[in-house]
Amino acid sequence: MSGMDSLESTLAALAARFDDALAGAANAHALDEVRVAFLGRSGEVTAVRRGIGTLPPAERPTAGKVINAAVEAMEAKLAAARTRLESAALERSLEDSIDVSFPGPAANIGAIHPVRRTAIDVARYFTRHGFAVVLGPEIETDANNFDALNIPPDHPAREGLDSFYLRPDLVLRTHTSPMQVRSMRKHGPPIAIIVPGKAYRRDAIDARHLYMFHQVEGLMVGRGIHFGHLKGMLLGLFRELFGPWADVRFRPSFFPFTEPSAEFDVKCPACDGQGGTCRTCGGSGWIELGGSGMVHPNVLRAVGYDPDEVTGWAFGCGLERIAMKRHDMNDIRAFVENAPGFAAGLA
Amino acid sequence: MKVPVAWLRDYVDLPANADEIVARLAALGFPVDEVETRPQLTNVVVGRIAKLERHPNADRLQLCTIDIGRDETLLIATAATNVAQGQTVPVALIGAELAGGLKIAPRKMRGIDSQGMLISAEEIGLPGEWFEDGIMQLEATMPLGTDVVAHFGLTDPVLDVDVTPNRPDALSIVGLARELAASFGVALRVPDSEVEYEGDSDDARVTIETVDCKRFVYQRVEGIDVRPAQAGMRIRLALAGQRPINNVVDISNFVMLEAGQPLHFFDWDRVGGKHLIVRDAHDRERFTTLDGQERTLDVCAIVIADEEGPTSLAGIMGGQRSEVEPSTTQLLVEAASWTGPRIRRVSGALKLRTEASTRFEKSLSPALADVGAARAAYLLAREGGRVRRPRAAGQPVPDPAPIGLLAGEVQRLLGFELTTEEIERALAALGFVTQREPDRLIVRAPYWRGDIAIAADLIEEVARMVGYDHVRAEVPGTASQDIDSAEFDRETELATTLAGLGYTEVVSLSLQPGNVAERWRANGIAIDEPVEITNPLSDDQRWMRFSIAPALLEFAARDRAVRPYRVFELGHVFAQGEPPQETVQLTALHAGGPSAFGRLKSDVLALLRRATGVEARVERGVFPSLHPGKTAALRIGDRVVGYAGVLDPRLAHAYDVADTTALATILVEALPPYVTPRYVAPSKFPPVERDLAVVVPLDVLAGDLSDAVREEPLVRSATVFDEYRGPQVGDGKKSLAVRIILQSAQATLTDQEADAALARIVAALRKRFGAEPRA
Ligand SMILES: [Zn+2]
Repeated sequence: MSGMDSLESTLAALAARFDDALAGAANAHALDEVRVAFLGRSGEVTAVRRGIGTLPPAERPTAGKVINAAVEAMEAKLAAARTRLESAALERSLEDSIDVSFPGPAANIGAIHPVRRTAIDVARYFTRHGFAVVLGPEIETDANNFDALNIPPDHPAREGLDSFYLRPDLVLRTHTSPMQVRSMRKHGPPIAIIVPGKAYRRDAIDARHLYMFHQVEGLMVGRGIHFGHLKGMLLGLFRELFGPWADVRFRPSFFPFTEPSAEFDVKCPACDGQGGTCRTCGGSGWIELGGSGMVHPNVLRAVGYDPDEVTGWAFGCGLERIAMKRHDMNDIRAFVENAPGFAAGLA
Repeated sequence: MKVPVAWLRDYVDLPANADEIVARLAALGFPVDEVETRPQLTNVVVGRIAKLERHPNADRLQLCTIDIGRDETLLIATAATNVAQGQTVPVALIGAELAGGLKIAPRKMRGIDSQGMLISAEEIGLPGEWFEDGIMQLEATMPLGTDVVAHFGLTDPVLDVDVTPNRPDALSIVGLARELAASFGVALRVPDSEVEYEGDSDDARVTIETVDCKRFVYQRVEGIDVRPAQAGMRIRLALAGQRPINNVVDISNFVMLEAGQPLHFFDWDRVGGKHLIVRDAHDRERFTTLDGQERTLDVCAIVIADEEGPTSLAGIMGGQRSEVEPSTTQLLVEAASWTGPRIRRVSGALKLRTEASTRFEKSLSPALADVGAARAAYLLAREGGRVRRPRAAGQPVPDPAPIGLLAGEVQRLLGFELTTEEIERALAALGFVTQREPDRLIVRAPYWRGDIAIAADLIEEVARMVGYDHVRAEVPGTASQDIDSAEFDRETELATTLAGLGYTEVVSLSLQPGNVAERWRANGIAIDEPVEITNPLSDDQRWMRFSIAPALLEFAARDRAVRPYRVFELGHVFAQGEPPQETVQLTALHAGGPSAFGRLKSDVLALLRRATGVEARVERGVFPSLHPGKTAALRIGDRVVGYAGVLDPRLAHAYDVADTTALATILVEALPPYVTPRYVAPSKFPPVERDLAVVVPLDVLAGDLSDAVREEPLVRSATVFDEYRGPQVGDGKKSLAVRIILQSAQATLTDQEADAALARIVAALRKRFGAEPRA
C-alpha cells in the first residue's frame, strides 16, 4: 500500500469518527469540543498532517491538498451542525411561556387635575382658532370686577355675585370677566382670548357649590363679530368636548356686561335631549353650562373701544361643571377632596 | 316667583299646555326652576245648602239637602260644624276624586245614603291651615253646578319662575302673561280698573322730603268691611304661596302679585294729623314693623311718618301702629315708587327682605304706582268700598326716551337679517311704539320696561320674539392679534411634565382657618402675614393661603396608607402688602419610598430643564417649611427659581408625617423664558471613563465639585456617585467619588492625554477645595 493510499484511508476513518462525534454533540459546547479534538492545534488532523513528512517529496503536495479538502469538508459539516443546533434552540425557546398577568412593579403614575385637563382641552380648541390664553390675578379691584363690567354699586346683579372683600376696593374676583377689561385695555381690537382661572363667590359648600371654583371666559371683539360667531364657537367647543352629536342652544338671560345676553345649554348626553326621568339633566333634555352675550357698549367704551366700530361677544362657564358632565360626576366637592386615585382615574 | 298657570290664564288664552308654557317661558328668558303639579281632582261642583236638618241617628252629623242646579237635589251627611242653610259650598259628587287620592263612593252614614260630600279647602289640595275650618265657603253669586275644579283651575300646575333682576315688571302674573301673549301672538286681557270715584282724596296731606321717593300715589277708601276675601282670590293667593288674611290685606297682596306693584294700606283712623311725611329716618330712630319687631333705623332708611312718628318703613314693610285690623273702616291706599338701590341698601342693612323690597330694589316704573292704585281701588270697590279720586305726590311719570335703531344694526349684532316689518312686529307685540325714519326706527319702550335704554336692548327684545334659535352658528375668521399664551403654556408644561414624572395634581381651597398660620408660627416657622377676608362666610375661610404646603401636608397625613406619595399643586399664594401680594407657585411633595428628597430634587431639576431649556444650579438655601440644613436653592442665571428640601422636622411632627418627607416649591413667575438649546454634534471618537476619588472638607458641595471638574475642556460629563465619611479620611473631611467621561471631538484620546487631563483636574480641585486624591 502506497503512502497516499494509507493517508486516504486514515482520513476516511478520521472523517467517520468525526461524523460520529458530530452526531453525538447536543450543544454548542460539545460542538466546540469536537472541533478542538479534530481540527484544533493538537487535534487529530494536525497529527495526520505531521505524517506528510514521511511521504516521498513528490507526493507531499498532493497529500497536503487531500488533507485540506478533508478539513474543509469537516469545517462545513461543523458549521452545518452549528446552524442546526442554533435553530433547534430557537425553536425550543419559542415554546417557553410566562404568566403575563403577573403584576409588574408599580408604575410611577401621575396625573394632572381634571379641571386642568378640561382647561387644556378648551384652550386647545380655541388656540386652534387663533385665540390667546391669558391668566390673571385672583385679587381684583372692585372697579375691574364690577364697575368696568357695567355693574355699578347697588346694581341688583351684584347680589348674585356675592363677593369676598379684602378691602373696600379689593375683592376676590367673582368671575374671570375682569380679565376682559384688563386684556382689552392692553390690546386690540381685534382681540380673541380665553381666560381659564379661579373665581370666588360667598356660597356655602354643598354638592353643587364651592366658594372657590374655576371658570373659563371667552372674548372676541372686532369688526363684524356677531352673535352667530359665538354660537358657532361654542357649538364647535362642545362637539370637541362631548362628541359630534353635541348641540347648543341659547336662551335669553341677563348679564349687565352683555346685551343681548344668553345662557347656553348643551343637549344632554345621557338622554340625547329626550329629558323624561333623566337624572343628568333633571328631565329638561338640556344642561345649563354658562352665560354669554354680545359685549355691552358700556364695557367697550370703558376700555376705550368704539362700539360703533367694533362688536364682540363674551361667554363664561364653570370648568368644574364641564368636567362633571364629561366624567358623569354629581358632587363638585370631589374636585377639592383629592382622594387618592381621583385625578389619575379621570386622566 | 310662584306662578299658578290658572292665574296666567285669567289674562290670556294660551293655546298651550303647561309643558309648552314652561318651554316658552324658558325661551323668553324666564326659566322655570320647578313645576309643582296639583292633585288629580274631578266631579266637584258648586252647591247651595237648601235645607239643613239633624241626622236622626247621630248627634254629630247633619243632613244637608243640596241644590246643585239640577232637577234633583242631593242628600249629603256632614260632620262639619260650620255649615248653615243658604251657604254656597263645593260639593264632591259620587265618583269624585279629591286630594290625597280620596274617591267618593255611595255610602250609608248611620243608615242614610249620603250622595256625595261637602268638602274643605284641604280636600281640593289647598293648605288647610290657610282656610276656614270645615267646609269651604264660596260666593253666593257662583252659578250652581259650576265645575269648581275647572272654574278655579285647581289642577293646573304652579310654576316656580326665575325672573332676572332687570325685569321687575315680570315679577308679576300680568307681566309674565304679557310676555306669553306676545310670544304666542294672542291678546292680553288687562285687569279691570274702571271705578266710579266718590269725591277726592284731598283730606289727606302728603309731604315728600326725599328725592328717593319718585312717586307717591294715595287714595282714600271708605266703607270698608273687613271679612274673608272671595274664594277665587283666596285660592289664587294660596296657590301662589301667599296666605290669605282678609279681603283688604288680600287685595294688597293680590295686586302686588298680579300687577307687580307693592301697596300699603293705612288704617285712616289711625293716621296722626291726617298727614304723611315721606322722609329719611333719623339716626337711631326706633320703629316697630308689622311683624312685631322693633327696629333701629339710620339715615339710610326712608320712613313714612305721620304727625306722631314713623308709621311705615318705605318700600319694605308697614308699621304696626297703622296696620289694617278687623275693625278698620277707612283706608288710605299708598302706591309708591322708590329709587331701587336705596331700598336695596336699607333692606340689606336691616336684613329684612320682603316681597315688596325685592320688587322695589329693582327700580319699578313710577307709572306702575298709578296702575296699582287703580286696580286696588277697583277691587276694594268690589268689596263695597267707596273710593275717592287718587292724588299723586312726587315727580310726574316721565315720558319714555326715544331710542334710535339703525337699519342694519340688528344684523350687525345678531348675524341674521330681519325686515323692518319683522322688527316692528316683534317690538309692537311687547308694547313698544315704533316710528319709521329713512335710515332708522325710533322706538319708545312701554312704561313698564325701565330696563330698556339702548339699541342693543331693543335688539335683544327682537331676538327674544323671533327666538334665539334663529341665531345661526358660524365660525369666525381667525383674528390677527399680538397676545401670547406664555403663562398658560408654561403652567401646562409644568403640570403635564410633573404628572409624567409620577406626581398627581391636587387643587385645594385657597381660604383657610387662622390656625394654619398659627400652627406654623407655633412651630417656629417664619411666614409672611396672611391676607384676611373681611367678610368670610365662617372663620374656617377667613385667611388666604400663604403657602400651598399646608394643604399638601394634610393630604399626605390623611392618605398615609399611600406610599410613595407624590402630589403637587400649582396656584396662587398670598401675602400682605400694599396692595396684597399674589404669586404663582408650584409646590410638590414626595413622601415615602427610598430617598424622597433625592428623587424629588432630581424630578424638579428635570422639570426645570424641560421648562426653561437650561440646567438649574443647586446651592444651599433656606426656605420656610424646609429643614434649614437640608434645603437646596435652585438657581437659573442670577435668579433663585425654587427650593427643594427635606421637610422641617417641626412641621413633620406637627402634621404627623415622616421626617424624610420632601417638599419643593417653584416660583413660577421667576422662571426665565425658555431658551432653545443649541445643537452639539456627538463626537465620533470613543469616550474614556475615569473614576476619581478626592478627600475634601465636609462643607464642600458635590455639585460645586462636579461643576469644577466640568471646567476641564475634555470633560464631557462628571457625576458624583459616592460619598464616604469615616476613619479612613479623618475628622472634618469626606471623600467624594466622581465618574468622569472624557472625550475629544477631534481624535481618539490616548491614555497619556486622559492621564494629563485627570492631572489638570486634580490640580484644579486641590487649588479650589484643598482636595487630595484618595489612594
Ligand atoms: Zn338627560
